[in-house]
Order: sequence, then C-alpha cells, then structure tokens
Amino acid sequence: MIILEDVHYSYDGVYTALRGISLQVDDGERFAVIGANGAGKTTMVKHMNGLLRPQKGRVILDGRDTKFMSVAEIARKVGLVFQNPDHQLFLDSVKKEVEFGLRNIGFTESEAAQRRQKTLASLGLEGFAERSPFTLSGGERKRVALASVLSTEPRFLALDEPTIGQDAHQKNQLAQMLAEMNKRGRTVVVVTHDIEFVIENFPRTIAMADGQIIADGSTNMVLSNDEVIERCSLAPPQMTLAARALRNVFPEVGQRLTLLSELEETIMGILGGA
Amino acid sequence: MSFLEVFQYTRQDSVMHRLDPRSKLVLSIVCATVSMMFMEIIPLLMVFTCLLPLIAAAKSLGRWAKSMKGLGALLVFVLVFNTLLSPMEYPFSYSLSLAIRLVALMTSFSLFFLTVQPDQLSQALIQMRVKFEFAFAMSMAMRYVPTLGQEAYAIMDAQRARGVELDKGNIVKRIRNIIPIIVPLIIVSIRRALSIAESMESRGFGVSENRTYMEMLRFRKRDWALVLSSLLILILVIYVRFFVGLPGWMMWNLPF
Amino acid sequence: MALIEFADFSFKYLGADSLALKRIKLTIDNGEYVVITGPSGCGKTTFCRAINALVPQFHRGYVAGNVYTDGKNTREYEVATFASVAGLVFQNPENQLVTLDVEKEIAFGPENLGVAPSEIRRRVEELIELLDLEELREKHPHEMSGGEQQRVAIAATLALKPKVLVADEPTSNLDPQSAEAILEIIAHLNKRGMAVVLVEHRLDLVAKDASRIILMDKGRIVADGDPREVLAMDLCEEIGVGVPKATQVYKRLKTRGIELGNVPLTGVELAELVQEATSR
Ligand SMILES: Nc1ncnc2c1ncn2[C@@H]1O[C@H](COP(=O)(O)OP(=O)(O)O)[C@@H](O)[C@H]1O
Ligand SMILES: Nc1ncnc2c1ncn2[C@@H]1O[C@H](COP(=O)(O)OP(=O)(O)O)[C@@H](O)[C@H]1O
Ligand SMILES: [Mg+2]
Ligand SMILES: [Mg+2]
Repeated sequence: MIILEDVHYSYDGVYTALRGISLQVDDGERFAVIGANGAGKTTMVKHMNGLLRPQKGRVILDGRDTKFMSVAEIARKVGLVFQNPDHQLFLDSVKKEVEFGLRNIGFTESEAAQRRQKTLASLGLEGFAERSPFTLSGGERKRVALASVLSTEPRFLALDEPTIGQDAHQKNQLAQMLAEMNKRGRTVVVVTHDIEFVIENFPRTIAMADGQIIADGSTNMVLSNDEVIERCSLAPPQMTLAARALRNVFPEVGQRLTLLSELEETIMGILGGA
Repeated sequence: MSFLEVFQYTRQDSVMHRLDPRSKLVLSIVCATVSMMFMEIIPLLMVFTCLLPLIAAAKSLGRWAKSMKGLGALLVFVLVFNTLLSPMEYPFSYSLSLAIRLVALMTSFSLFFLTVQPDQLSQALIQMRVKFEFAFAMSMAMRYVPTLGQEAYAIMDAQRARGVELDKGNIVKRIRNIIPIIVPLIIVSIRRALSIAESMESRGFGVSENRTYMEMLRFRKRDWALVLSSLLILILVIYVRFFVGLPGWMMWNLPF
Repeated sequence: MALIEFADFSFKYLGADSLALKRIKLTIDNGEYVVITGPSGCGKTTFCRAINALVPQFHRGYVAGNVYTDGKNTREYEVATFASVAGLVFQNPENQLVTLDVEKEIAFGPENLGVAPSEIRRRVEELIELLDLEELREKHPHEMSGGEQQRVAIAATLALKPKVLVADEPTSNLDPQSAEAILEIIAHLNKRGMAVVLVEHRLDLVAKDASRIILMDKGRIVADGDPREVLAMDLCEEIGVGVPKATQVYKRLKTRGIELGNVPLTGVELAELVQEATSR
C-alpha cells in the first residue's frame, strides 16, 4: 500500500507543483491519473517511487516512510516507466538491458537471467534477446523499456503517459498487458490524456489540476463531471456527446453513459421499441 | 550555477539592449581590458563603479546582484585561498583586489551577454563576414543547450528509477555510472539532430547563394558614439597607467 | 496535372531489410484534405518524406518508380526545390524550432530561399495574425507549450507559401485541447484552399473534416476513399485503426440487423441518425 499524506513539492521554491496531495493506493488496484499539462501528474508519480521526496507531508510505502529508503530500495517495489524509452536504453543487447536493472537492485546473475527470460517471453520479445535495442522500432523499444522495469516484478507499476503517439493497435496491446499484470495482483497506475483509454480500462480515476487532486473516485463519476473535463483540458468523449444529443430527444437515455456497449444497448432499446 | 545567469540574455527594452551587438562587443572588451590593467584596489573600485551604471542602463541590476550572490562562495574561496598561499607582502589586500577584478571582469562581459540575443550575435557575426552556416550553428547550439540539459535530467531520473545509484560508491563506480547517462544522451541527441536537419532541409536551408535577411543590423550614430568614446577611454587609461603613472593615493592598499 | 503523383513508387531505407513503401500509386489534387492512417511502422512518415524529396534525397536507399510533386520528379530535384510547394510539419515541435524567436523562425524559410526582406516581413506579420501568435512574439521556444510550439512550426512552414501542407502526426505529442486547436487550424487552412495531407491516429477528431482517407499497412495502400466508406470497412479493425466510437457503434448495430442509413463519424451525427431512424 502506498499512502501520500499532504504532500507538497516545489521545484524552484517559488511555484508550487504539488499543493497538498493525499492519496491512498491499495494493493491490486488499477487507476488512471488525468490532468492538464503542468497539473503535477509527473511530479506526483515521481513521489511514489522516491525520485522526488516531499518537502512537506509524507509518502508511506508498506508502512515505512520513504524518507528512510533509497530509490534503489523503493524500485524493487515500485516500478516507474517513463514516456521515452530512449532515455533508458544504453546497452547493446535487449538481454543485457533487461538484466542491468535486475543486477542493480541486487539479483544474482542466474536469478536475473531467469527473470529476464520470463519477462521477455511474457511481452512477446523472446526473439529479440540478442538484438541491439537501437535497431528496433519505436514501439519495440518501448516494450523493451517496459520489460526492463517489469522484470523486477514490482508490486506497484506506474506508467507516465504511455499512450502518447501510440496507434490503436499498440494501445490495445498495452491495455491487455496492464490488465494481465493487474489480474496477477499488481497495482497499476497510468498517467494519460487519453480519455477513451481511461474509460475502457480503469475503474478508478484521479483528476489533478494546479498541483491538487480535484476529483478521485469511480471513472464513471469523475468523467461525467463537466468541470473536471474542462479543468483537465480534455475533450468530452464522443460517447458522452452522443448520449447528450440523444437525451435531448429521448429523455429515457441515462445521465451517465460512458461505455460503448451501453450506448449500443440504449440505441437498440430506442430502435427496437420504435 | 546561478552566477551564470549574468551571462544569459534577458529580453528587455533598454538603451543597452537597443545598441548594435558589435558596438557592445567593443565596449565589453574595453571594460575588460581596463580591469585587467590594474592590480590596485582603488582603481579597480573606480572601474567597478563605472560599470554599475551601464548594468543599470540595461535594466539588469537585479539579475546582476543575484548572480553576484551566487558568486559569493567562489569569491570567499578566492579570498581565503589567496590570502593563505600568496607570497605577497600584503596577502589579504592582494586577494581582495583579485576578487574585485574578477567581479569587474564578469560584469564587463555580462554587459554583452545580458543584452545580445544569440540570434543577434550570429547576425552580427554574419555581417562581420563569418560564414552563415557557421554563425547559425553557433546560435543553434545556444538554442538547444537548455533542451539538452532537460534531457540529461530526464535520463538520470529514468536510470535512477532502475536502481542506478549516481551518488554512491567509490570513484570508479561513480565513473562507471556515468555510462548509462551518457550513452542515451548521445543517442537521443543524434536522433534529435537528424530530425532538426530534416526540418531545416525542408525549409530550404543552405540552398541559395543569395540568402536574404529579414533584418540587417544597422550601425547607428549612437553605436559610433559608443565605440569612439570607449576607445578614447581606453587610450586615456593606457596613457595614464603606463606613461604618467598612478598618483600615490591610488596605490593605497590594506596593511595586511 | 495533379499536385502530387506517386507512380508505382517503392522505397527501401539503406540498411533496412524490407520495403518501407511498396508500389504506391495515387494522385492528390489541389484543395483536397487527405488523412493518412495505419499502424505504426506502416510507412506513413516515409510517404510524407517522399512528397518533398527528403526520400530519396536526404534519406537514401533503394528506389523504384517515381514521385512527381508539382510536376517535378523528386529523384531529379533537390529538397529545397519543393520547399515552396510542399510544407512539412513534423511530430516533435521542439525539433522544428531552430531559432530563439517567433519572427526569426517564420522568416527562416523565406530567408533561405532569398525572398526580399520587405516581402518576408509582410509574410511574418500575416502569419502571426493568421495563427494568432501575437502573444508568443516575445517568448523563447522553451517557454512555450507543445501546442504553441507546433503553431509556430506551422507558421514557419506556411511562410514558404506551399501549395500543400503535409503534417506528420503533428498532434501526437500534444494534450487533447492543444491537439484540437492544431487540427482546427489545419481544417481552416484547407477551407481557405490549401491542400492538406495529414497523418493522424485520432480519426474521431479529423474524419469529419477530411475529404479522403487513405489506409496504409506494411508499406502498401490498402484502402483509399471517402471517409465514411473507408471507416465502414471491416479492414479497419483488422489492421488496428482507431475507428471513431460513433462509427464503431454504427458497425455493431449493423451486425445486429439495425441499419442507420448513413455512416456517422461523430457522436452528434450518430444521435441524429438514430433520431431519423425512429421517425421513419
Ligand atoms: N524540473 C523542473 N523544474 C522546474 N519546474 C518544473 C520541473 N518539472 C516540472 N516543473 C513544473 O511543475 C509543475 C508540474 O509539472 P509536472 O508534474 O511535470 O506536470 P504534468 O506531468 O502534470 O504535466 C509545472 O508547472 C512544471 O512547469
Ligand atoms: N531512417 C530510417 N532508416 C531505416 N529504416 C527506417 C527509417 N525510417 C523508417 N524506417 C523503417 O521504415 C518503415 C516505415 O517507417 P515509417 O515511415 O516511419 O512508418 P510510420 O510513420 O507509419 O510509423 C519501418 O519499418 C521503419 O522501421
Ligand atoms: Mg508529465
Ligand atoms: Mg511516423
């Protein structure tokens, strides 16, 4: 369990990037963090794995204040995947790349090799073990970077804007993989601007603005709130727009339509009855 | 590194900013040369007091003061180190003049860098017959330095998240730990350079023999006035310093 | 004469094992709004580069067939020749801003081509007005958001007065609101008569403005036509294209025996179609 208690953080002492974040992340959860650029999402996620330490308030990981833990120590429990895979790949084979992180946090050579094999297999990267990461495509490099974090089997996995620049197929792949991780008991946190991705994959959503959490609850509830959508610089999803337009004529259409299948059933209802 | 701010261009509308970069270059060099010609406290302080109004004319006193505060530690170091090690008769007095000279030198050059935008500098170079490609490469380097810095921080974060401990271990281990930072930085920079080149090529970079410039720098009367008066002052100071000699009261120094 | 003509064009990058473009054959005319989409790695960027001769002049490799842009063969003229025909905007705005201020950036292209200073000044002012860049005039690229940077990049490209704007995923690094603003600008430019070739994954935002959608997969063009026709194809789901949600609902209803009459591209269109269906 990760608990953030009234966390404050400022990069330059003047402008405050986080202004009192309180949040509880339970084991096995899956949630999304949304918010406009500069809202403080990255800053908050970096607090979860100790890259940043609160200037006021506390971050508690499994009952221990992270103040007394090193990043390497936290990294065993909390994995953080950044947006640009090129920021971490530096070795000349995928195999070495994945084992590097494992060796860093103290696994023996044979343990590391074992875990590496397992992780590459689970991400469909077996064939790439001997390839140089630099000869791979962007999408493949992203998966290698992910593998290097996943191989340590962190109980908490946070991904900062993994959907940016991804095509529909890559997004589906990512969603499937996260769902699988989650099913196996891992906690998954994803920062994203992709509202459809959130609706389809996450039961809980946290909305941030100006360094504060402005909404935290079920995705359905958070994203039905127009003010939240507005303050997070999001566009209302097509489904919501369709539902609203329908509601004008068919009052029986519900207030909180978000899923595609729900809309489908509603329209079936309208047209079937007509 | 906050003392470096004084070498960083700030957009302002001031008398100094409006001058031609070439005349400011002359001014800066003259000021620096004059500071280098003296080793005595009083003349150095006089130079220094002449420089301050110039910084004020650039509306940059605040920034200057902030930088000097950042420089404080280094100045104290110069003072202590020199006082202890100098073979001079009055080591503290000597160190103090060294420190003032350092401040005067930095202030002289900051007159130029505070008020000349890198693009303007390259334009000035071009008009001084430096090849366009070269001048442009220089201003582009300035353009991308902050980007590179940010990238370096992002890479450090990414590696620390994987358990790389940058500030732990003996010197060998620390040097080894630089590799996971440097390699991605180089690769990301190469990728970036390629994509910048692509964008520039698509906009006709380097194709026409007769490249035009939307704005040429113009040397105005005030620039001539500045250059002439700077040179006059330089000649005057050289004359006094080397041919007349300083009056006794200017040679005063602290008795320790 | 077509504005852009691909005549059985194939290309393989130096050192790559497979063709990035395979026998591409199509024409694009003045005034069109062409959206290109397809899974990543399918050749969209290579296609854009081929339009202004970056492929094969800047990126070298094996070439077969020809591309004619504004009637000129891209194998025979250098990239700069095409600068005032096809203006390219790329994915990462930061890598397209090479100077430290907006005016200089817009002037960069015309200066390179030797346009007269007074004319450059005129274009700069016009574009600052058109793209609403007034408040960015005094800003360093570093102080701009991604969306602002991309707006400046578009202005810098337009300063060369191209006949077609070729934008390669210009919004994929941006947040949704900035993305929409950029796409609005592009739609506006098209309405003023400029041809547009836009690579984009978020079809829910652009399908309604496009006059044509091209679907690519593994270096080939697999569909090319009216947005409603193309997006209604099952092929889209097979190769993994982000079909707008409203269109997805339409398709699902269809498999359940409900025909809405037309293919909706937006939520509002879908609602209208449902309404029409009930009143029939
Ligand atoms: N390294 C940094 N130095 C100074 N300010 C920063 C730095 N990183 C982020 N900020 C500022 O902190 C605020 C929150 O940033 P961030 O957490 O990156 O937001 P988000 O990820 O939601 O876009 C922003 O105003 C941003 O400008
Ligand atoms: N500069 C390059 N050198 C070698 N291969 C490349 C280069 N750019 C792209 N490719 C390859 O060409 C194919 C098509 O790439 P690209 O046009 O970038 O696709 P898209 O833009 O649709 O993602 C891919 O297999 C990619 O790996
Ligand atoms: Mg962020
Ligand atoms: Mg591409």
